[in-house]
Amino acid sequence: MTAATSPRVPRPVRRRSTSRQTQVTRLLPNGVRAAVIAILCFLVVVPLAYMVFGSLNSDLGVAQGDFFPTDFTWDNYAKIWTTVGLGNGIMNSIIIAGTTAIISAVLGVITAYVLVRFTFLGRVTILRSLLGLQSIPGTLMLLPLFVVFSSASTYLGITVVGTRWGLMLTYLTFTLPFSTWVMVTYLRGLPHELEEAARIDGASNIRTLASIILPLSWPGIVVSGIFAFLLGWNDVLFASVLTNPDTQTVAIALQVFGAAQEGVGLPLYGQMMAASLVSAAPVVLLYLVLQRYLLSGLTSGGVK
Amino acid sequence: MRAKTSTPTDWTITDSPVGGEPSPSKEPSPSKLRAGRGLSRRNRPLWLMIPGGVLMVIIIVIPIILALYMSVLNLDQYTLRQWLHAPFIGLSNYVEALTQSPLLNSFWISISFAVISTAVTVPLGVAAALATQNKFHGRAAVRTIFLIPYILPSFVVATVWRTMFQPGGVIVNGLHSIGINSGLWLNGPQSYWTLVIVEIWASWPFIYLLALSGLQSVDHEVHEASALDGALWWKKLRYVIFPYLKGPLSLACIIAILYHINNFTLPFVLFGVPAPQNVQTLPFLIYITSFQSFRFGLSAAMAFLSLVLIAIPLFFYLRAVQLDTDKGGRK
Repeated sequence: MTAATSPRVPRPVRRRSTSRQTQVTRLLPNGVRAAVIAILCFLVVVPLAYMVFGSLNSDLGVAQGDFFPTDFTWDNYAKIWTTVGLGNGIMNSIIIAGTTAIISAVLGVITAYVLVRFTFLGRVTILRSLLGLQSIPGTLMLLPLFVVFSSASTYLGITVVGTRWGLMLTYLTFTLPFSTWVMVTYLRGLPHELEEAARIDGASNIRTLASIILPLSWPGIVVSGIFAFLLGWNDVLFASVLTNPDTQTVAIALQVFGAAQEGVGLPLYGQMMAASLVSAAPVVLLYLVLQRYLLSGLTSGGVK
Repeated sequence: MRAKTSTPTDWTITDSPVGGEPSPSKEPSPSKLRAGRGLSRRNRPLWLMIPGGVLMVIIIVIPIILALYMSVLNLDQYTLRQWLHAPFIGLSNYVEALTQSPLLNSFWISISFAVISTAVTVPLGVAAALATQNKFHGRAAVRTIFLIPYILPSFVVATVWRTMFQPGGVIVNGLHSIGINSGLWLNGPQSYWTLVIVEIWASWPFIYLLALSGLQSVDHEVHEASALDGALWWKKLRYVIFPYLKGPLSLACIIAILYHINNFTLPFVLFGVPAPQNVQTLPFLIYITSFQSFRFGLSAAMAFLSLVLIAIPLFFYLRAVQLDTDKGGRK
């Protein structure tokens, strides 16, 4: 906020003014603020710590209700690769969510370019449906896709259920409107001057898109791609119906493993926690590294 | 000092671009002028929309129409593979869904679940935003910690909490040690509250994020004015700050309600199938009807009936979001 005035002001003075400013903009008394932060951090950290400690504990320890590990072991992290099938799951998730992300980011930026920069009949309707489609329940989409996919072997002789590309296609049903909308909001923020200059120089629409819009909107494209990737990585609904043990994603690997532990004498809790941690780690790291870019994307209209 | 960007009431999310530079679009008057100029009528490359448009029609619009058709068929596991020849039964599926299925019960579960979750997360998110708005040592770390529940995949959140809520697990034991006999969390009537607790834990940071972006739109002069007036902190919050948050928070509530209603992963992974009656939210019930009972036609009818519930928040959402820059957004 002080960007306009700060360059002229010498450093020590500015520092004092910053602390005064903090006094002025203060919203909560220090005591209340500390209490709010402490309580919320505690509530967030306890389950996270439980996941970490549980992954280092024995199954019996977790089943007894330990919070801290009684007998410390790394074994769980070695076992999950065979018991949960985590390696296969992560591989499938990367292939499926990655392909989906690339397709929807590319198609998203092209479609958004036309929607933002040109006017035509039905444009507002398309913009509205882009948002509306994101709020369609996944179950409503899954149903007809599943019926069509399973009858494809009868009518067309093609097997779709259980294939990776079938799942990619279903993921596009929600990543494509999402990526397009993210790019619409992003392209709107870009200044028009460069495009106008290019147009005056005689550049065609394609040329403008390729040499002005694309280089300028890399951050937006990456954000829309990453969100599309995360939607695929986090999905359980579609993958639970449309995959088989060979093509199952990491979410399904963990969910199936967890469900199989029900009613067993001593469930493999330690491995469940270790597998949870491993399947969450890529997503969390991705966010933390790209936090600055992703934060504004989080609030830009993702319903799912 | 930047020009005042927006009054609290005309706050819209689309004003903030996704990427790094927030300033160009935050000044409405020049960008609106430019938008009018930039929307071109001549030489429109509409064919560029063909790949994305055609794909969306094939994989979204056509399946929805097919689902509508399926909802009037007697479609089950026997007719699934030749579904085009499934017997036509008119509106029977809709009648059955409304009169002989747990659909209405699921309606109430979904509504109360969405409303309670939203009502609890709003104060949490606002408190967190107020507490982290000003600079202090370790603020970056605190902000990161606050985000983690939201960025953890739902299936991981559900797996961890399910382990914690196990009979004899850490929560039951912990409560027992302070003299509370908490009973079963993953079965029976209490499972509903398990679902609500976990949903609140996982979703409050979303409110926090939108509240934070609302706080950042409060101008420095406003802070100075209320400091000069010597306003007490809660009076400042009540009369000065909260009006700024009204816009972003109502939007946050709408999005949150839509999110809660559509959340399938959390109940599914938390309780598994068969799930207790009390946690069969609409998406969960529709899923069970299709993929456990194999009543695809009935389930399609349920899915369309459940759209009624989505339609209300969606209507307000589409009104609140600025669709178009050159039309002033709200008309």
